[in-house]
This record gives sequence, structure tokens and C-alpha cells, in this order.
Amino acid sequence: MCNITNSDSDEQELNPEPGEVELTNRVFDVNSEEFPVLGDLDEDAHTWSNNLSDDLDVGNISNFFHRVSSEQVIYQAKKRLKMIGKYVMGDLLGEGSYGKVKEMLDSDTLCRRAVKILKQRKLRRIPNGVQNVEREIKLLKSLKHKNVISLVDVLFNEEKQKMYLIMEFCVGSLQGMLESTPYKKFPLYQAHGYFIQLIDGLEYLHSKRVVHKDIKPGNLLLTLEGELKISDLGVAETIDFFAIDDTCVQGQGSPAFQPPEIANGLDSFPGFKVDVWSSGVSLYNFVTGEYPFEGDSIYKLFENIGKGEFTIPDYIEDPLRDLLLGMLRKDPEERLSLQQIRQHMWFSRRPPVTAPPVPIPPLRNDEFHCMTVLPYLFDHYYDTSDTANNVEYFTERELNEEITKREAEQNNGSAQTNQSSKRRWKKPISCIAVRKIPGCKQS
Amino acid sequence: MVNYEANISAYETISTLGQCFEGMAVVNLAKHKISGTMVTIKRFNMDRIKHEAHLVEREIILTKQFQHPNIIKYFVAFVHLHEVCVVSPLMAFGSCRDLLNTHFNEGLPEHAIILILKDVLDALDYIHKRGFIHRSVRAGHILISATGKASLAGLRYACPIVLNGKWQRQIHSFPASTVRNLNWLSPELLEQNLQGYNQKSDIYSVGMLICELANGAEPYAGVSTTLMLTEKVRGCVPQLLDCTTVPTDENNEVHGDCDISNNVVSRRFSEDLHELATLCLQKEAIIRPTASQLLTHPIFKLIKKGIFLPDLLKPVMPLSSRVAVNTDEVANLDVVQQFADLELYSCEWDF
Repeated sequence: MCNITNSDSDEQELNPEPGEVELTNRVFDVNSEEFPVLGDLDEDAHTWSNNLSDDLDVGNISNFFHRVSSEQVIYQAKKRLKMIGKYVMGDLLGEGSYGKVKEMLDSDTLCRRAVKILKQRKLRRIPNGVQNVEREIKLLKSLKHKNVISLVDVLFNEEKQKMYLIMEFCVGSLQGMLESTPYKKFPLYQAHGYFIQLIDGLEYLHSKRVVHKDIKPGNLLLTLEGELKISDLGVAETIDFFAIDDTCVQGQGSPAFQPPEIANGLDSFPGFKVDVWSSGVSLYNFVTGEYPFEGDSIYKLFENIGKGEFTIPDYIEDPLRDLLLGMLRKDPEERLSLQQIRQHMWFSRRPPVTAPPVPIPPLRNDEFHCMTVLPYLFDHYYDTSDTANNVEYFTERELNEEITKREAEQNNGSAQTNQSSKRRWKKPISCIAVRKIPGCKQS
Repeated sequence: MVNYEANISAYETISTLGQCFEGMAVVNLAKHKISGTMVTIKRFNMDRIKHEAHLVEREIILTKQFQHPNIIKYFVAFVHLHEVCVVSPLMAFGSCRDLLNTHFNEGLPEHAIILILKDVLDALDYIHKRGFIHRSVRAGHILISATGKASLAGLRYACPIVLNGKWQRQIHSFPASTVRNLNWLSPELLEQNLQGYNQKSDIYSVGMLICELANGAEPYAGVSTTLMLTEKVRGCVPQLLDCTTVPTDENNEVHGDCDISNNVVSRRFSEDLHELATLCLQKEAIIRPTASQLLTHPIFKLIKKGIFLPDLLKPVMPLSSRVAVNTDEVANLDVVQQFADLELYSCEWDF
């Protein structure tokens, strides 16, 4: 048996497929990320490391550098219970720009939650990272609307330099749903339902003088109940209470959703109309599966947006066509306001149900999005004997095979959410690399 | 028909019956001055409720909408200072939880359980057909009148099955502020996944209620919420404790160190009641019977024989005959309440 202990948390980066199987190696203590509470847990790993020190004490140098073939390194799929305050940790849900998003369970209320885990170390590497997060927390705390994601709790771990933002639990983003369908679009009535909620949420944000600046399907999440939540206020700006209008000077959102005034690099522009534009692009995307503006590079894209010329497919008929044209007017002054959108023909009339709705795609093959905390609890409460026959072991090679298999599956275009398809070891460092540019097609 | 005024001065407070809503509401026994009838006034302290104010609102609106002999009736609701007051008829035996706490520590007699159950199922059948799920069926939410009629209360946790004008096949909403009800809730509701839940979730709670009424203890009392969750998810449920279910050795002694009295070991609930609990506590919601199906169960035929619940509850007496109006107590009551309402901690100086 191999005698290596390694508890460096960076080892995690080598871990295959985040969350597909949360792997906890008994030899490589890879999952040392959160502090385990509730006792027991790790006795085996301890005994093993004791063996190691015994070997060293004997002083046999040949034992010191023990040759271990990769076949001998084993990983064990095990769900180990971790608690952060009163919350029980679950599996990975996705990765945001600043860190991982995992599922959690409030052990008092049994309510499912999502947690954004922020590492100070990583935050400091992002320009304005710490300030942005502080601003987002302050902002989220002041907001309360059914269509805006709510921040439930904030926890810190000084020792690990981590911050936990505990949010409402959502099952997926509209982006993930769109990507899971063959035509990448919603039936009209479904798009209408989401659009209404988006406008409701935006109206609230604007009433609180908040410009979101990054409205896009990837930032529109759905709860289990199918309620839309505007999320990621990382680049949102609060207009000063004493400002005479909603003038903004900075645009940081996703390129494909930026209005001409930002694409053209104007010094200042009316903020609320930025959100109207990106809502227009999102609606265009919902109903056509395409983007009004595309470009091989960000420069080409901005050039196209800057011209403000686009076409709407012929099958999009009038009240909707007119609404899209109104929301995507090049001149922000002429662009529809939220009030005008509300009064628009298409807004006030629900299109007929024509086809079954696009469902929320499965997460790691689980169509019901079951509580991922449950296996950890089961392991904690019932599976006390590690020697039980049902414990699975994997060797490195088996894992690699599994990874390539999964990659192949994914490339075959199987339904996968945007978030889960990201690889853990390809963790981007800068903020820029993270922001996806959905409008830019690979040339 | 008595007209109950929406004004606190029309009622004379006699005593405090208890608290509810996690101590944020007080239940008073009061006399309607004009008619002389005894009523209960539930007073929600809105200063303390804050975020859950919508629950109070929902409870009042829903309770007033429902017209059923086995659902608690609200005569009138009004605002008095910082309180929302709700006047309802006096339920002289209190809640089933009170009965279990005060006299029936090891559970109610089987016939009493069946009579209460019949009323609860009637109420649930009505609520379900009106398109709502109750979501907090438990002994504490079942009130017994002087005549022995059981009424369902606690409608603040109920949710509509009809959304946007359509009858939903599954509901996904997780009830807010529901910590006190968790032990009675169904696994599918607690699991909070896309499969959702429906009115069968209430039937599971009825199963828990049967166990609670029969055993006296709250289901999963003393068990952590997370363990309660995993137990339910893997299909482990409480049982009716009697000679058929409590394991004993040859000398009729209970195994292990649990303190189960001989009373419990020697009693025997009918097969029908055991079956009823098992039917309700099935993990698969689809095969759980509906409230109206349960009402056709042979166990309820017994009711026609004319058994009277108050007789079964003896020696517990209904409240109105118990109340010896103690004037000192009444005089102190208001003062005590005022002291309780004082938020002393808010006066702390921060140097």
C-alpha cells in the first residue's frame, strides 16, 4: 500500500470533473477545503499517516522514497459531511467569476440554499475584486423583490480566508435551458413568462436606483417553483441619491449584450436604457435562439453593435417584432422605457401555449435536481464502517478514462448546463477570461 | 346571530390561554360583553412578527374564506395598537397538543383518535377540494370544542394548488418559517426537488398526527432535523407504540434503556388504526390515499355508534366549566402583558 499523505488543497485542481463524483481520497486528503464538524469522519486517514511516521522512525531509507505506480494510488468516492456554521455542504452547482457555487442545506429550517464561496487570495488578484464583492453584498442586502436573487446570510472563515455568500437556491439559468434544446430558443409563451418577470425585477432595481448592467440569460436564474431571479450584481451600479439623472460612465457587462453607446465608447450614457437594451437582446435570444449582433472578435462585435443594424427573422410577427425594434433602438433616448414596454401590446397579452415548455436540464444526469446534501448526510448517519463492501475505489487510470469518456459525451452535444461543463483545472485567473462572450463565434 | 364588534373594548379579557406563532401571538380567553358568550382572542404582536406579517394576513384571509364545521372560524379580525386581533369561538378543550401535554402523556384512547381523525380528514378533504394544501397538520393545530368537535387551525402555512388560474400537478414552494412543523412534513416536501409535492403531503402529516395522538410524544422528538430528514427519505417512520410494536422479552420487559411504561406495552391499538397510519405514511405519495378515500376506511364506521368525544376525554373538563374567574389574575394580566411587550433589550446603552 502506498504511504503518501498530501493535504495541499491545490491538489484539488487535479480532481476530475468537479462534483461529478466528489472525490475524497483517503490517501491524498484532497478535500480538505472545509472544516469538518460533527466528529468522526477521518480516522482511517489518520491511521495511515501514522503508519508513515512509523516507517520513518525505523529509518529505513528505502522506505522513504517508496515507488508507487499510478495503479496503486486509489481514490475513494465518499461523501464526507462538512458544515459551515449551521449549513451542511453539498455538491458543486457551478462556477462564478470569483469562485465556486455549491449547494447547502440550512440544518435549522431544512431549506435548500446556494453558497458562493469567495477566496480572499483569489479576490485580491482581480482588479477591484474585494471592493466589488463588498459593494455587491451591501447592494443585495438592501434589495428585496421576488424577481431579484436574495442574499440570505454571509459567513467568514478568517483562518481559511474565505467568505461564504448564502443565497436562495436556484435550479439553473435560462442560458442552461436554452443550450439544452436543439433550437436554443423558448416557445413564445414561455419566453413571455420569463420576460414579464425580468421586467418586474428590473423595474424594482431601477426604482432603487440600481443599474444591473449585465442582464443576459446566464444571469437569469430559476427557482424550483419556476420563478425568475435576476442574479449577479457584481458590476451593478447604484446611481447617487443626489444625481440629476441616471448617467453612468462605465460599462462592464458581457459584450454581446452591450448597447451601441457602450460599444462606441461614449464617455457617459443613460444607465437604465442599458438594461433595456440587454433585456431586448435577451428577449431576441429567447425567441430566435440567435443574437442580434455577432462578430468573430470583440472588436468586430462592437463594430456591429455600434452600427445598430440588425435583422429579425421573418417568423417573428408584429407585436413582438415591434417590441424588439423598440428595445433595440440605437439611440438610448428613442429606446423604449420600462413603462413603455409594460404598455406594449406583446407584453400585456400572453401568447397561446403551442408546444411543451423547455424543461430545466438535468444536473449531472439528475432530472429532478435532488438535494445533493443528502448523500453526505446518509454517509454521516448510517455508513459508519468504512470496511463495508459497498465502498468504491478508483485508480488514477480509471478516473482518467472516466474523464475522457465524459468529455466525449459532452462534445457529442448531450444536454449539459453551461456551468457544469467547466473544468476545474482550467480555472481562469483574471476577470476578463471568465466573462464568456456568447456573441462571438469561433472562427 | 351575534354580531361581534371589531373593537377590543367590546370584549373583556379573562385569562391567557397560551401562546402561538413561536411566542409572537397570545391567545386570550375573553367574554363578549353584549352577548355574554365566551370567545378566544388571538393577538398577534406585529412589532415582533415583522417579516412574517404576510403569514398572519394569509391566515386571516384563508380562514375567513373557508366555511366548514371542522375548520376554525374567525368571527372578526381587527387592528388594535400594534396588535392584530382575531376573535374566534372558544374551543373549550384546547388543542390536541394541550390534551397530550396535560393529561394524555402516553397518547389518547383509540376511539378519541378516530373521532378526531374523522373531523380532521373532513376538513382536509374540503381544503384540498378548494385547491389548497394545509402543510401544518399536527396536534397543536387541532382544536377541540366543548361538544367534542375537532377544528383544524394553522392555515397560515397553507399554499394554493391553483397558480395563474391553473391547477398545478406539483407544488415546489417551501413553506416559510416552518421550523415548528418540520417533523410532520412529508419527505417529498422536505426534499425540495423538481418532482415537487401535492395534497398527498398533508396525508403523510395525518400519518404523523395519528402517531402523535396515539403515542403522546411529538414525532421525531429529540432527533436532529437533518437526521429526521434522512430517516424520512429512506422511508423510516414512527409506529404506534403498543404490545404489537414494542419489542419485549419473556418477562414482558422492554428491551434497552428506553423508558416506555407498562401502560404502553400492555395496550393494543386495533389493526385498523395501525393500517391507517401505515397507509398515510407510505413514502410514495402516489399510492397514499386521498382524504376522501381515507374517510371510506372501515375504522370510521365506529362513529355511527354515537360515541361522544368529551366522555372519552374525561377527566379533562372543557374550559368554560373550569374557569373560576380569579379577579386578581385578571387585574394582573394586563400589567404582565405590558411588561412582556416591553423590549427591555432595546434600552441597552451602547457606550
